[in-house]
Amino acid sequence: MIPIENSFDITSTERRKILSLALSRGGDFAEIYAEYRLFNFINMEEDIIKETAESVSLGLGIRVISGEKTGYAYTNDLSFENIKKTALTAAAIAHNAGTATIPRFRRTKACGDVYPVRRPARQASLEDKITLVRRAYESCQEFSPRIRKVKVLFQDHVQYVSIAHSEGRTAEDARPQIKLVCTAVAEKDGRREFGFSGGGGRVGMEYFEGVMTPEQIGREAADEAVRLLEAVDSPAGEFPVVLAPGHAGVLVHEAVGHLLEADFNRKRTSIFWDKLGRKIGSPLLTIYDDPTRPSFRGSYAVDDEGTRPTRTLLIDRGVVHSFLQDRLSARIMGRELTGHGRRQDYTCIPLPRMSNTYVDRGRDDPEEILKSVGKGIYAERFEGGQVEDSGKFTFSISAGHLIEGGRLTAPLKQATLIGTNIDILQKIEMVGCDLEFGLQTGTCSKEGQDVPVTDGCPTIKISSMTVGGRR
Amino acid sequence: MTETVRDHSLLGGAARFVDFGRACGADEVEISLIDGRDFSVDVRLGEVESLVEAAARSLSVRVIKDMKTAYATTSDLAEETVHQLIRNAVARAGLASRDDHSGLPPPAAEEIDVSSLRLYDPDISYLETSRKIRLALETERIALEDTRITNSHGASFNSAEVTTVLANSHGFLGSYKQTFCSLGVGLQAGGTDDKVEDDWTSVVRHFRDLETPESVAKKAVERTVRQLHPRKIKTQRVPVIFEPGMTNWILGFLCACVSGVAVYRKATFLAERLGTRVGAANITVIDDGLMPGKLGSRPFDSEGVPCRKTVVIENGILRHFLCGSYSGRKLKHPSTGNSEGTGVSPNNFYLSPGAATPPEIIASTEKGLLLTRTIGHGLNPVTGDFSRGAFGLWVEKGEIAYPVSEVTISGNLEQLLNQLEVVGNDLDFQAAVCGPTVRVGELTVAGE
Repeated sequence: MIPIENSFDITSTERRKILSLALSRGGDFAEIYAEYRLFNFINMEEDIIKETAESVSLGLGIRVISGEKTGYAYTNDLSFENIKKTALTAAAIAHNAGTATIPRFRRTKACGDVYPVRRPARQASLEDKITLVRRAYESCQEFSPRIRKVKVLFQDHVQYVSIAHSEGRTAEDARPQIKLVCTAVAEKDGRREFGFSGGGGRVGMEYFEGVMTPEQIGREAADEAVRLLEAVDSPAGEFPVVLAPGHAGVLVHEAVGHLLEADFNRKRTSIFWDKLGRKIGSPLLTIYDDPTRPSFRGSYAVDDEGTRPTRTLLIDRGVVHSFLQDRLSARIMGRELTGHGRRQDYTCIPLPRMSNTYVDRGRDDPEEILKSVGKGIYAERFEGGQVEDSGKFTFSISAGHLIEGGRLTAPLKQATLIGTNIDILQKIEMVGCDLEFGLQTGTCSKEGQDVPVTDGCPTIKISSMTVGGRR
Repeated sequence: MTETVRDHSLLGGAARFVDFGRACGADEVEISLIDGRDFSVDVRLGEVESLVEAAARSLSVRVIKDMKTAYATTSDLAEETVHQLIRNAVARAGLASRDDHSGLPPPAAEEIDVSSLRLYDPDISYLETSRKIRLALETERIALEDTRITNSHGASFNSAEVTTVLANSHGFLGSYKQTFCSLGVGLQAGGTDDKVEDDWTSVVRHFRDLETPESVAKKAVERTVRQLHPRKIKTQRVPVIFEPGMTNWILGFLCACVSGVAVYRKATFLAERLGTRVGAANITVIDDGLMPGKLGSRPFDSEGVPCRKTVVIENGILRHFLCGSYSGRKLKHPSTGNSEGTGVSPNNFYLSPGAATPPEIIASTEKGLLLTRTIGHGLNPVTGDFSRGAFGLWVEKGEIAYPVSEVTISGNLEQLLNQLEVVGNDLDFQAAVCGPTVRVGELTVAGE
């Protein structure tokens, strides 16, 4: 619609003027974050293309850091006069008189190859996208006569960001994102169950021909719903738990990842704050966060503070290796930036966030892992989890199986796992050689800000966890 | 005190975009505009951590042509952008399917007097920044005076002033202004490896109704320290007492299950249950958008239907689903004034209070769990099943004995509603979806 260069019509001279104003009360650091997003959305349910939507988001946020304090102001009126006013509002966090010299701008080189897109969704016709939606819908519906309701959503999105800060850096990124998801409701004898599947990432339309077809997405959702019709209540109590490869990575994201975000550690609210370099879990456990994985939903070429991201080793064979840093935390803690400063949009202050988080592959054969369990729970899908800084967490299993005599037996209904992370990390007994990632549809929420993420893990055996069921 | 919108440029702008949409060939057009001002300050350990101030607008479009619908939203309100989006939407509507239930609601017969709802407090826009910062600092300072508190997540003060404008091609043109402010603090107690945490926030529309820093701090401290030195318990089925905040959680789940959208999608276990018993006779659940000063009140919903009072469950019998005009047409019910975007949302959705005081409820419990907090997801509206991580206080012989942690509670919403033994009298409308303390006959509490 509106070309990006016209949206952020701010010259270098104007940017310097804005940053100087932002530091006019004596702040230490100032930054301009301009963002322009375009969304397209298609919804099919009840056998019809019910609606389509298009969305434009344009805005700018100015941040001023003074010591450990942050002043932030945002607007979607991008006239130069109004931006200057916004800069003065953010400047008020500092209380001195200041004169800042903004160095000559140099552009930060973004990571290459993060978005290997051949056929951008923005250029595909709405008719083509509707065809994808219909294909997923019909495959889901045709899977079984037990399927009662199907819903398919397609979303494509491009986010342009332009960042300039008072240390003389600028950075730009144009992040594509596609998501095709299918929800199915199956019914048998009055009982109804949900199934879900989806795919996408920072990819082009070619994704749906090679990586995951709409038919596959539709059938997977249907299959899950139909299988859950036969599921039984989970037993309650303490059992060995085997995490299936892929989707169970969300457990790692919640139980460990969040507590390695630097803000919780500089504030000493995370149980890890004093554990850098210390052993906190099984030597079988190594965890990375990698924002540079090509095509992945959680990836980016520069972060939302203009830093080039790097794959970051978080846990090295059971030892806390590093935290995920944003600029504010890194300044205060005296650490290197890792490129994990992310924000939901221009209305938000950046926070240290995960991107694509995963447990590195181990050596065990997944078959052997199952065989080692007499009676336990095989957790395949989670619908979500939550962790507190204190390390207590819960996860809701939405699909799983009972393990009896080393084999998968009855499918399980919704159950909740609860625990304390250090306890669980120490109880990791086996790690498989089969690293997989979960669906490219995940979103992580922190302090009200949602950002796209993925997570992954190989098959993992935890010797004992509390399982909440109804039996 | 002015509660209608002074800024006629917003009203005029919305009406002109409606005309533009009609001129582009749409049969029906709806334009809504939100103009908000937000302020927030976070303080931690006696220092300001962040201060955010903003002014932001957004505009939403719905066009219908030949019973086919398209939507658009934008935060770029340049006339050329909005015109382009409207033109695109009219073209896009052609690619959607015909839907006989689509369309704007019919013009409303009555109009709600906005000022009677007391949604707007003019004092909030005059509050000085220094005063807002002091309130947050004071709240945290008082909380940290308690030696059992070992760390702070920080305190914050937020305020917002929002103007909503709605215009449509049936001639509806309405607007209202509302304000919110909140003061809260989050705390930790215990050492590094046995931390417990909780928080308390007061949210109101009128500044004079805001809890004092003393009150917020005291509640947050009490909620945090009562969890210190928890024990594990064995897996068992016991009566569970829900504190008001926990009843709110259950009502939020119920609300999702009585949404007209979930009903026509058959995504709720209550879909076929209208007119039947779904809970004990002591349960009456109301949705009321017209309660003066309450957080969920509004004169009209997102498509201009006047809000009203709807009895959702009456003495245990399911009476009404919450509908917008689309879900209403699908279910052959009138809209209940609960439309929100393409879905429905509650106004003030509450469980009517009973007579028992919370201390009486605890005193009459031989053995059970007083549920104080849950974490995680684990709600399935299709089956009504829920399962969550839980924190609470163990009750023995009518008295609180010790805190418990690392348990989960699980059950089914219909079974829970049928086993609601006692409903408390402490309904306080601290949230738009709310209820008093209640006791449920038996739930599975899974521990060791």
